[in-house]
Amino acid sequence: MNTLVEARRPGLRSLVTLIGCEAKMVVRDTAGLVVPLCLPLLIMLTSASAASGTVVANGRTALDLYVLPLVFTMVISIIGIINMPSFLAYYRRSGILRRLGVTPASPAMVLAAQAVVSVLQSLVGITAALIVAFLAFGASPPADLGVAIGVVGLAMAAMYSTGMIVAAVAPTPNSAVAIGLVAFFVLGALGGMFGGRDALPEPLAELGGWLPFGAAVEALSSAWAGATVSAAHLVGLGATIVVGAVVAGLLFRWE
Amino acid sequence: MTSTEPAILAENLAKSYRSTRAVVDVSLRVEVGEAVGVVGANGAGKTTTVEMIAGLRVPDRGWVRVLGLDPRRDRARLRQVLGVQLQQAYLHHALRVTELVDLYRSFYPDPRPTDELLDMVELTEQRRTSFDKLSGGQQQRLSIALAIAGRPRMVILDELTTGLDPKARRRMWHTVEHLRSEGVSVLLVSHTMEEVERLCDRVAVLDAGRVIALDTPAGLVARAGTATLDDAFVALTGRQLEEEPA
Repeated sequence: MNTLVEARRPGLRSLVTLIGCEAKMVVRDTAGLVVPLCLPLLIMLTSASAASGTVVANGRTALDLYVLPLVFTMVISIIGIINMPSFLAYYRRSGILRRLGVTPASPAMVLAAQAVVSVLQSLVGITAALIVAFLAFGASPPADLGVAIGVVGLAMAAMYSTGMIVAAVAPTPNSAVAIGLVAFFVLGALGGMFGGRDALPEPLAELGGWLPFGAAVEALSSAWAGATVSAAHLVGLGATIVVGAVVAGLLFRWE
Repeated sequence: MTSTEPAILAENLAKSYRSTRAVVDVSLRVEVGEAVGVVGANGAGKTTTVEMIAGLRVPDRGWVRVLGLDPRRDRARLRQVLGVQLQQAYLHHALRVTELVDLYRSFYPDPRPTDELLDMVELTEQRRTSFDKLSGGQQQRLSIALAIAGRPRMVILDELTTGLDPKARRRMWHTVEHLRSEGVSVLLVSHTMEEVERLCDRVAVLDAGRVIALDTPAGLVARAGTATLDDAFVALTGRQLEEEPA
């Protein structure tokens, strides 16, 4: 009898349906959208007026080179390190992953759907920040648009990879939020979220440049200025992706 | 493997959680097209047995085949032909009934149509209601619909009607009878003797992690020398069968 059963995993149609469902879950959880989309925007609004008047390099202002990279990285980090893991931890805690585990859906499919929805959320947040920055504060586009897009993609992958570690080790949704918040603030503090990294002790400033938040801010800033992106920042982001994928692959569980 | 492969063949299953021996020694054979009930008092090992059969837990000892497939090693193949309704309905709470049905349908190559599924479990009127707005019975019925969305050859139903009112229970029984008429094999965990007597060809009585009796409902009654299956259960196990809270 069993010879008649082919090992067929659900295909693209199924993944698209799952992505649609995950997106609906996110949209219907209005409170979960406020922080990642509005907090970075608020920070930009409070800094933009002063920052938009100071040309720093290559015709780009402090708004372009410092504030926008920071705001983009915040949007990506909050969604990747706090929101996505809390969803996955909730799914595991409430038994949704367990229920999916008795269907042909694979864990990788759920993770992929979450990643896609998180990317879409990040794009919405980044687009909103860009529109406000361009229309209200006269921000300039990045000098090297292709590099900037590439860095945003790399930063997303790095933050979601970090988020997957949080999702893998957090036993409950609350602990996922707690671990995610701690990770976000530690990475943010070392990456210049509360002032430039120059203010940090040298070893911490150096470390912050290798960790994903600082690496993403610096790499985006370089792309905006049209300068060469430091290899150290790219290596930092790439290493985070690899480490996150390996750790999450080893530790992530359905229940 | 041949077409005479049983729907379920479990041999000497055992499972412990730290110092608690949940399942001590369970062997079970369910033929294709057969419906077998599993009854036992709380803590008898029913759910752990079902979870090992469904591939959700790895036995400490023994082995199991479902439709000739190893639930762990042949996971991808088995999931296409096995429908599982877990004891509690764990679903995306903010999704609507049709969204959930369409999601689960998408996992299978030849799913039942959405309307047919909703009709089978009588949730057509609630199709636009989100999962968290459904009553307990409606959530349970939706869980059944999802378990059979992929036209399974075998279904495992854990506490099918726990917490349902009598009318809803009969609806569920009708759904199971419909599945049986299609040749689907059924493993039904239940606390209701009336249910297993009506739906099952044979009944396995679990007590303290062991199968202490496996026979037709009439055979169990005759063996225990009692008038009813309820009395037979008490005579065989020395315990009352209590329904778990919904």
